[in-house]
Amino acid sequence: MAMREVAIIGVGSTVFGKFPQKAIFELGTEAIWAALKDAGISPKDIQFAYYANLYGGMVEGQAALRDAGITDIEVTNVENACTGGATAIRRAWYDIASGLYDIGIAIGAESMTTSPIAGKLIPPAKGDVSGELGMNTVAKFALSQRRYMDVCGVTLQQIAQVSVKNHHNGCTNPYSQYKREFSVADIINSRLICDPITQLQSCSTTDGAAAAVLTSLDIAKRFTTRPVIIAASIIRAGDYAFRQKDLTFSDMTNKASKDAYIMAGVGPDDIDLCELHDAFAVNELQHYVELDFCRSGEEVGLLMDGVTDLKGRLPVNPSGGLLSKGHPLSATGVAQIAEIVWQLRGQAGVNQIAGARIGLAHTLGGEVADLEAGAVGIHILKI
Amino acid sequence: MTRILFKEGLFEEIEGKPTLIGSKCRSCGQAFFPSKLVCLNCMSTEVELIRLSRDGKLYTYTTVYMNSEHFSSPYTIGWIELREGIRIFSQIRGWQEQPLRIGMDMRIYVETLWQNGDNEVVGFVFRPQPERVWP
Repeated sequence: MAMREVAIIGVGSTVFGKFPQKAIFELGTEAIWAALKDAGISPKDIQFAYYANLYGGMVEGQAALRDAGITDIEVTNVENACTGGATAIRRAWYDIASGLYDIGIAIGAESMTTSPIAGKLIPPAKGDVSGELGMNTVAKFALSQRRYMDVCGVTLQQIAQVSVKNHHNGCTNPYSQYKREFSVADIINSRLICDPITQLQSCSTTDGAAAAVLTSLDIAKRFTTRPVIIAASIIRAGDYAFRQKDLTFSDMTNKASKDAYIMAGVGPDDIDLCELHDAFAVNELQHYVELDFCRSGEEVGLLMDGVTDLKGRLPVNPSGGLLSKGHPLSATGVAQIAEIVWQLRGQAGVNQIAGARIGLAHTLGGEVADLEAGAVGIHILKI
Repeated sequence: MTRILFKEGLFEEIEGKPTLIGSKCRSCGQAFFPSKLVCLNCMSTEVELIRLSRDGKLYTYTTVYMNSEHFSSPYTIGWIELREGIRIFSQIRGWQEQPLRIGMDMRIYVETLWQNGDNEVVGFVFRPQPERVWP
C-alpha cells in the first residue's frame, strides 16, 4: 500500500499545572480549541479523533470533543500508560497515511490531581504480581538508578544535573508547571521517595492536555506554508524482562529508535532537538545511549559538557521536560509533539533553538510484571 | 490468625527450607519464575518444573519511603539474580540490620508479607547473608 506523507498543521496545549477544579474533558476541550485555532480550521473539518487518557472514565474523548463542536464522527479512546499520547498520534498518522481520512485530531489529557493515584506512587494494574509485592513506577527506575550508580559509576550529583538543566529550561516555557531554578544540592536534599530517587529527581503530579491536527501533506499546503512532516512514527510494546540483559539499558527504546531513524531516513546526528521521557532524572542519561546520541559511558559527558543544554549542539528537553514542565501521563506524548512543532516553526519564544529542522519525541511507560515496560513511542518531525 | 499463601505454586518448603518453584525449557534451557507451561522464549512445550537455587546475589535494591497497597514506609524491594540465569523480584528483609550492597549473598525465607483482616498472607522474601570474612 502506498502511504501518504502526513503533516501537522496545528497544535495546542493547556498550561501544565495543578487544576483539580477542572474536569479532564475540560482540559481536553481547551487543548482542542487551541489546536483548531492554530490550524485555522473549523471543528466541522475534523473527520476523526483519537483521545488518550488513563485515569478518567468512559468516553472521555467524546465529552472533550463535544464542547469543541465536534460530534458525529469516529472517535477512539486510547490507553497506553505514559505512551498513550504518542499512541494517539501514531493512530492518527496511520489513518491519514493509509488514505482512510484526510484530516483528524490526536489529543492527550490527564488530571493527575483528581486521579485515584493522586499523592501515591503509581502502581501497576490491579492483580499484577510485582505490584502486590510493592513495585511502583518510581521504584522501577530507582532499582535501575541504584545499579547505574554502583556498577556504572555515575554519581548522584551528575544525575541531579539533568534536573538542574531541565528546570532551568522550564523557567522560560510559559506552559511549564514549575518555572523555578533548583541547584544540585536542592535536588539531592529534597524528600527521599525511592532511594536514591528524591522528589526533585522525579516528575510531579500534573494536570494538562495537548492536541495536534494532522492531515496529508498535500492538503496541509492549503492551510499553511510551513507544515511539519511526521517523518517517523513508532509504537512498540516491551519484550520479556528475562531478555533484558541489563536494567540500566532500555532495549525497547533502543529498538524503537533504530526503527524510527530508518523510517525517517535520518540518523541520530541529524536530530536538532529532542523531547524525551525524563520522568526521572536518571532516565535522561540512559536514554542518550539508547537513542544512539552517544555510546555507553559517554552520556555523562554529553550532559556535563553542555551538549544537551538549550544552547548546545543537541538540546534535550528544551521545554523543561517531564521534570519541570510536568507529566500528565496521557497528555505528555502529544505535548512533546506540540513543543517540537513550535520549535520547528520558530515559535518557541525564549527557548527557541535557532535553525531547528528535525526533532525527536520519545515516551516510555507502563509498569507490568515480566515485561521490560508497557510501551515506547518515538516520533521524528521535520520541516 | 489464618495463614494464607500470597499465591499458590510459587514455592515449597521441604524440612523447613523454602525453595522457589520455577520451570526450565528442555529445548532452549531458559528458566522461568513463576513456572510456565510453555517456554515463552522458544514456545516449546517441553518444559519441566525445577527447584530454583535458595541462594542468589543482590542485583539491585531500593528502599521505598511511601506506603504501597500492602506495605508501610519504609520497605525495601529488589532483584535477586539466581544461578539459573533469572532475576527474582522480591521483598527484602533484614536491610535495617545489615547494609545492602549489590552483589552480596541473599537467601530465600518464607515469612508473613502482610496481614489482611484475620489473614496472615505468607510469601517468600530474601534476606542478606552474613558477609564472608576471609582470613
